[in-house]
Amino acid sequence: MAILPVEEIEATIRPPVGAPPRFWAVLLRNRKFILGATVFLGLLVLAIVGNLVIGAGARRTGAYLPNLSPGDKTLLGTTSLGQSVAAQWTQALPNSMQVGLIAATIGTVVGGLLGLVSGFFGGKVDAVLRVLIDVFLSVPSLLFLILIASLLKQTSVLSMALIIGLFAWSWPARAVRSQALTLKERPFVNIARLSGMSDIEIVVREILPHMLTWLGANFLNAFISAILAESGLSVLGLGPQRDMTLGVMIYWALSFGALFQNLWWWWLTPVLSLIVLFLSLYLVHLGLDEVGNPRLRR
Amino acid sequence: MTIRYLSERVLIFFATVLISVTIVFFIPRMVPGDPISGVLAKMAAAGGGSSGNAALVEAYKQRFGLDRSLGAQYVSYLRQLAQGDLGYSIAIFPTRVSELIRPALPWTVGLLGVTTIISWLLGSLLGAVVGWSGERSRLLRGIVPIALLLYTTPYYILAIVLVFLFAFHWTIFPLSGAYSAGATPSFTWSFAADVLKHGALPGLSIILVSLGWWFLSMRSLIISEQGQDYILWAEAKGLTRRRIFWAYAVRNALLPQTTGLALSFGHIIGGALITEVIFAYPGLGFLIYNAIKGLDFPVIQGTILLLVVSVATINFVLDLAYPLIDPRIRADSGRS
Repeated sequence: MAILPVEEIEATIRPPVGAPPRFWAVLLRNRKFILGATVFLGLLVLAIVGNLVIGAGARRTGAYLPNLSPGDKTLLGTTSLGQSVAAQWTQALPNSMQVGLIAATIGTVVGGLLGLVSGFFGGKVDAVLRVLIDVFLSVPSLLFLILIASLLKQTSVLSMALIIGLFAWSWPARAVRSQALTLKERPFVNIARLSGMSDIEIVVREILPHMLTWLGANFLNAFISAILAESGLSVLGLGPQRDMTLGVMIYWALSFGALFQNLWWWWLTPVLSLIVLFLSLYLVHLGLDEVGNPRLRR
Repeated sequence: MTIRYLSERVLIFFATVLISVTIVFFIPRMVPGDPISGVLAKMAAAGGGSSGNAALVEAYKQRFGLDRSLGAQYVSYLRQLAQGDLGYSIAIFPTRVSELIRPALPWTVGLLGVTTIISWLLGSLLGAVVGWSGERSRLLRGIVPIALLLYTTPYYILAIVLVFLFAFHWTIFPLSGAYSAGATPSFTWSFAADVLKHGALPGLSIILVSLGWWFLSMRSLIISEQGQDYILWAEAKGLTRRRIFWAYAVRNALLPQTTGLALSFGHIIGGALITEVIFAYPGLGFLIYNAIKGLDFPVIQGTILLLVVSVATINFVLDLAYPLIDPRIRADSGRS
């Protein structure tokens, strides 16, 4: 057997540092992930393209006759106020996604930091944070959101996203905390500590990379819950007044009795979009889970 | 029973209640202006009638003691809450919030209680059976995607679809309400049948969605129990499969399933409240909805406070019951 240079031996026994390329290869072969991601992106692209195609004139209230069924003049029919349902949808979907994106980012970043601090440093900080996380986990956040939203004089997509984000950190915090607890006992962390790395360095360079899939799954969860919270608040009549979201669409459809006048295209469009959206995101989540946790693969 | 486990639960219960009460107290005060003028101004802007109602403003200022310091207000607020005083409605002024809650409460408790128990039991049972022997049957495996679809659908979205299908398209069930318009609530068979008929669709939408979740989580729990050593050991001992299923796999999987119930209660309540709105079901959710429409902030505040404290209490009771089903917590006190 030929004697190999040290670097080559190291390369054979040690997988490359950083996110292993295998991760993406496995992910892109996962059927659930591919299906979910395709549907999700398809919806988004459809809305964006629709937004570009539909002119401002077609978006006005009263641009069309009221209560037209799909096919006559507009793709998805019109509302009782003569708005094009398709035009509304192209704004509602990206707006709902925007709420989800902002709220989930706040929740994951804040929750992730709290979880890391709590799990990694332990001690008194951990004791306090743990109680706080437990409290916010069990508290029904939608109720507090109702309370806050009913006090705001004017809500927009952004303010919706911010208040939902306020309550979106507890799940990520708990998940990251429990991950940090197991990771900090691993040998590689001890070695890093012995080799003189500071705590911050250990967290950033040794622990964080292991949590990326985990954080990704948590981000998706937060994204789903945020859109859910937004549509729930909007159905209660607490949604943004000027911006269209999927929940706001449902609210107006219900308020105008679309269900009982058989204006099915009006309520079915946002309802179906939410169902498909949640399903696609959940599939992506399952796919990520399977890739991150090989035991789930079968 | 371990003291440590219990004291931790008691601590978390009190922390939850205190934090919730505090949030509910401070949120209205973070909005510029005093709470009552703010609400009245918003009412006036929306064309509401009772703006400038001097008696109302006076009553509120006195009740909240708005001229006093924030700390003093907080203390008196806590004292009033301890006496079960939730304040007055603005829209229907001399009526107390608690008087509005009282008739609505039984409907929500009934609807949620019944549906949660049914869906948890049925979902867990189905999930256990499918997880245990589903791999061999194509029919049973077919349930999984259906459960997934149900679970990812929000309650009120399913409710809208159900109303359209079974109350509008096929007029099997009534569109809304908890009982027929002319009926007076009484303990008679005909009234009970009426209530059941009206509760069927709201109940079904809550049951189906949560059923999906309990099914999926129980199934994956049972599947992960299947490969465990103690199951192999039980098989090697020659126990019947039925015995291993009930006394070993299900017994163990029930523990996280119960924790799941406690954790999801807040979530269930939020969704169920919106479902009530779709059906105009006269529970707390509909009360909140009407209060939102009428800008009746004290009613929203009082109802939400009651719900938050109820959820905390239910979680607390489930936590206390947990050692009864998990002998490990009873036995050792060292671990948290």
